[in-house]
Amino acid sequence: MRVLLLRFGELYLKGDNRRIFEDILIYNIQNALEGLKHSFSKTFGRYVISDYDDSDEDILVERLTKVFGLHSLSKAEQINASEEEITSEIAKIKCENKSFKVFVKRADKNFPISSMDLAKRMGELILRNNSGSWVDLYHPEVEVHIDIRLNKKAYIFSDTIKCQGGLPLGCSGKGLLLLSGGIDSPVSGYLIAKRGLKIDALHFQSYPYTSIEAKEKVLVLAEKLKSYVGPFKLHVVSFTRVQEAIHAYCAPEYMITIMRRIMMRVAERICIENSLGAIITGESLGQVASQTMQSMTVTGGVVKNIPIFRPCIAMDKEDIIKIANDIDTFQTSILPYEDCCTVFLPKNPVIKPNIEKAEKEEKFLDIEQLVSECLNTREIIEIK
Amino acid sequence: MIYLDNAATTKMFESALQVYKDYACDKFFNPSAGYEVARNVAKDMEGVRAQIKAIISAKNGTIIFTGGATESNNLAILGSLRGGKCEYIFSQGEHPSVYNVAKELERLGQIVHFIPLTKNGEVDYDLLAQHLNDKTRLISIMLVSNETGAINDLNRVNELRKKYSPSALLHVDGVQAFCKFKVDVEKSSIDLFTISAHKFHGPKGVGALYVRDANKLKNIIFGGGQEGNYRSGTENVPGIMAMGKAIDCIDIEKNLHVVEKLNKIFKDTIKSLDKDNQISFVETQNPYIISVALKAVNGETLMRALQDNGVLVGKGSACSTKKSGNRILESMGIDKNIIKSHIRVSFDFLQDQKEIEDAAKIIYQTYRDIWERVK
Repeated sequence: MRVLLLRFGELYLKGDNRRIFEDILIYNIQNALEGLKHSFSKTFGRYVISDYDDSDEDILVERLTKVFGLHSLSKAEQINASEEEITSEIAKIKCENKSFKVFVKRADKNFPISSMDLAKRMGELILRNNSGSWVDLYHPEVEVHIDIRLNKKAYIFSDTIKCQGGLPLGCSGKGLLLLSGGIDSPVSGYLIAKRGLKIDALHFQSYPYTSIEAKEKVLVLAEKLKSYVGPFKLHVVSFTRVQEAIHAYCAPEYMITIMRRIMMRVAERICIENSLGAIITGESLGQVASQTMQSMTVTGGVVKNIPIFRPCIAMDKEDIIKIANDIDTFQTSILPYEDCCTVFLPKNPVIKPNIEKAEKEEKFLDIEQLVSECLNTREIIEIK
Repeated sequence: MIYLDNAATTKMFESALQVYKDYACDKFFNPSAGYEVARNVAKDMEGVRAQIKAIISAKNGTIIFTGGATESNNLAILGSLRGGKCEYIFSQGEHPSVYNVAKELERLGQIVHFIPLTKNGEVDYDLLAQHLNDKTRLISIMLVSNETGAINDLNRVNELRKKYSPSALLHVDGVQAFCKFKVDVEKSSIDLFTISAHKFHGPKGVGALYVRDANKLKNIIFGGGQEGNYRSGTENVPGIMAMGKAIDCIDIEKNLHVVEKLNKIFKDTIKSLDKDNQISFVETQNPYIISVALKAVNGETLMRALQDNGVLVGKGSACSTKKSGNRILESMGIDKNIIKSHIRVSFDFLQDQKEIEDAAKIIYQTYRDIWERVK
């Protein structure tokens, strides 16, 4: 019977918590495959998807490769773990004048033939049936895997498809992603979700200084992110009043610093109100004036109760772009709509701000009032 | 809602819609079919050809129906392309449906010159003269700028052509001029003239190309040989007939008079409110389109705020709002920082004076509100 054999990676490391992690992973797999006919079963160290329609196989694979916590999968033939059935399955293999190697894994140590012996016997059989082929133990062109599991089944396959790895989504809790519409923030959302953190997202808009298209672009990004991070809430907040107030009352070079400090305050409030345990940003060290160590100290300084995660902090732009391409957000991110950070952009933003100066500038503003006003404009969009 | 973006498109006349329906539902026959009812449809289309020729004072030549101005411009320019290397002249102010075809010619290895504009938005005739020679194959200069409303002097262009490039073809994108101004293709010896129905209350997706000498044009679409083989594909008969009806309903002189008044009311209202002279207008001879320059306020921001206050205006070419920068205003030598502070206001003869006065007040007030916040 044709099946998909799923492997999960890092879960091995998690000792007693393993069951909780596995439960979440299985739940996420079931969610990902919703609407497609299939059966799910587990055996030690592997999950098996079976009883699906052949025509759905590629869709199943595509969806499974986006489930965090799965390490790899193979399209395999499932048979009873007997020498007879294995032999008859291996006899069907056509190597088409290529080199090959047989790999045997025997999780079921009660299987009467050792891994070594079985590999030899099956290799001999393949050689006999494929006169033009030869064994190459180091660089085989064709891999033949025989995986004998504790459920008394054997799985025969040749290719292994890489999945996302990471940890099952949700096992690390839930945070709030600041989603700007640029290249970095969707990548950050993806990377942090890969470590098991579920996300909601927060977008600041500055209508009429920014366009409706800019917001629609964020909705498209959210939709693309969803295929990895699952359904989530997108909080859209109007930042117009805040920017106008800073522009009117504060020193221009501190415009962005103070803007970001207020964004962080709004984000923290939303986190506390929704039991979200962290703020996630797309910041990358030194990329722009507001992403220097000093800037991050000053902007992050207002967040008192939860951590700020910055998954892109040590990445080069080109590496971020590579991931953005992989998760299909890049082409949307580069659409040329102004986001709220480019409006009121001062000529010379401060590169090394300090907290005292920022606090002094903020004295000209009623911060609490501005944060509340922001929250009052909030629209919550379900990305589902 | 007050609509001041009539250069982008106009509302279809009810009467044109009725004609559209007539030819979509009752006289729906394929004009290429042989039976009498279909032949009659073909004859009706000939009537529209005659109408268009009459309104542009064409004595001879052909009208080819197309799927709109972009297609007409593509046919005019690419259809004039011949083997070997020739020179092609375009104004820097052309609509993207000409400008980007010119870019394609460049890519194909042809020599393409873009002639800059003067500060009033017209093509720089002196520079034009300098670039004309006996290798010039085609000159493509729009009659009215969709962006600024500036009107090019085609008689002058034609004089230069006669002097320096007598064998060159003259193509004119007449989209913003047709049915708004008197056009005479004979007087300026125009060889190719583009029109689009939805700019004068006709339907979208239909236009035409006037061709003086069809022997000088090659088709760029291949198929069943309709439109004298210059534009294969079954004609959009309802669209063409509705375009004809729209032309019927237009009185150029009378409308021009109405719009001149609207334009004056608009400018006067703004000027009376704008004591600090923060708002200025690109001066042209065209009352239909005004390019408005705003001190220190981004045009797109104002456009969005105006939308919330019930006034719809354009930001340059509606086809290119998504692109940053503005090639046309830049070519006029307008400072880059000021370019962002332009909106386009365009009128229609069906609008009334009170409406325009109200719109001017709203525009000024909305501008002022934003200016107070961003100054």
